[in-house]
Amino acid sequence: MLDFMFIFFASLALLGGLLMAFHPNIVHSAFALVAALFGVAGLYWTLGADFLGATQVLLYVGGITVLLLFAVMLSTRDAARISIARYALMAPIVGLLGAFLVTTGKALVPIVRAAGGALGPTEPTTEKIGNLFMDPTAFMLPFEILAVLLLVVLVGAITLARRGEEDAA
Amino acid sequence: MMLFLQDAADAATEVAADTAVVSATAVDIANSTFAGNLYAYLIVSGALFLLGLAAILTRRNSLYVLMGVELILNSANLNFVAFARFGNYGLDGQVMALFVIVLAAAEAAIALAIVLRIFNDFGSIDITRTDSLRD
Repeated sequence: MLDFMFIFFASLALLGGLLMAFHPNIVHSAFALVAALFGVAGLYWTLGADFLGATQVLLYVGGITVLLLFAVMLSTRDAARISIARYALMAPIVGLLGAFLVTTGKALVPIVRAAGGALGPTEPTTEKIGNLFMDPTAFMLPFEILAVLLLVVLVGAITLARRGEEDAA
Repeated sequence: MMLFLQDAADAATEVAADTAVVSATAVDIANSTFAGNLYAYLIVSGALFLLGLAAILTRRNSLYVLMGVELILNSANLNFVAFARFGNYGLDGQVMALFVIVLAAAEAAIALAIVLRIFNDFGSIDITRTDSLRD
C-alpha cells in the first residue's frame, strides 16, 4: 500500500516537473508545478511527515503558485490567452478529484501510520514540532529571526513592487 | 591478564553485535521496495533537481527560472526529510525543511516583486535582455 502511494506521488512529482520544465505555455507550466509540489507533499506523507506535507500544500501549492500566476498574468504582454470557459469546465472535475483525494486520504492515514515503511510505525508530528519551535534550547531563536525576516520581506516586496513617482529622480 | 583478555573479547563481541545490528537495518532498507528504501527517495529528489536545473538553464523567461528554483528547493527538502527518517534523526530534518519552505516563500515574494519592476522598466522579463541595473 505504501509502495503504491510512493509510486503514485513520485510519478506525480516527476511528471509535473517534466511538464513544468518543457511545456511551452507558461500558465500550463505553473499548473504542472502545482502537481509536482503536491507530489512532493505526498512523498512527505509516506515518510511520516504529516505536518510538513500539510504545510507544503498550504504554502507552496496554495500560496507560492498563486503568486507565480499573478506574476505571469501581470508580466506577459500577449497574456497567455487563457480560456476561462475551459477552466470553468475543469472546475467541477477538479473539485470531485479533490473530494476523492480527501476521503481516500482520511482512510489512508491509519494505514500509513501503521506501516511506516521499513522503519516501523510513525506518530503524529504536529505537537512535537510546535514544542521544538517554542523551546529556547531548540529552535526558538531561528523561529523568531524568521518572523523578523518575514516582516522585512513584506515591507521590501511592497517597496519594490510599488511604482514610485520618485523613480525619475 | 586473563581478566584483561576477557574484557577485550567482550568488547569485541559487543562491537560485532553493534555492527550486526547496523548492517541488519541497512540490509532491511536495501531489500524493501520503494517506500522503505532511501535510494528511491534520493532518485526522485535527484530527478527533481535535474528538472529544475533544466528549467533554469534552458528558459529565457525569468518566471521559468523562479519555478526551477522552487523545484530545486523541494528536491533538497525531500533529501532532508528522507535522510532524517532513514537515519533516525528525529524531527530535525522536518524542522529544517519547514525553515526552507518559509525562506522559499520569502524569496518568491521578493523575486516576483523584482520581476514586476523589471517588466515595468524594460517592457520584458527576458533574462538575456535585462543587462543593466539602472536607466
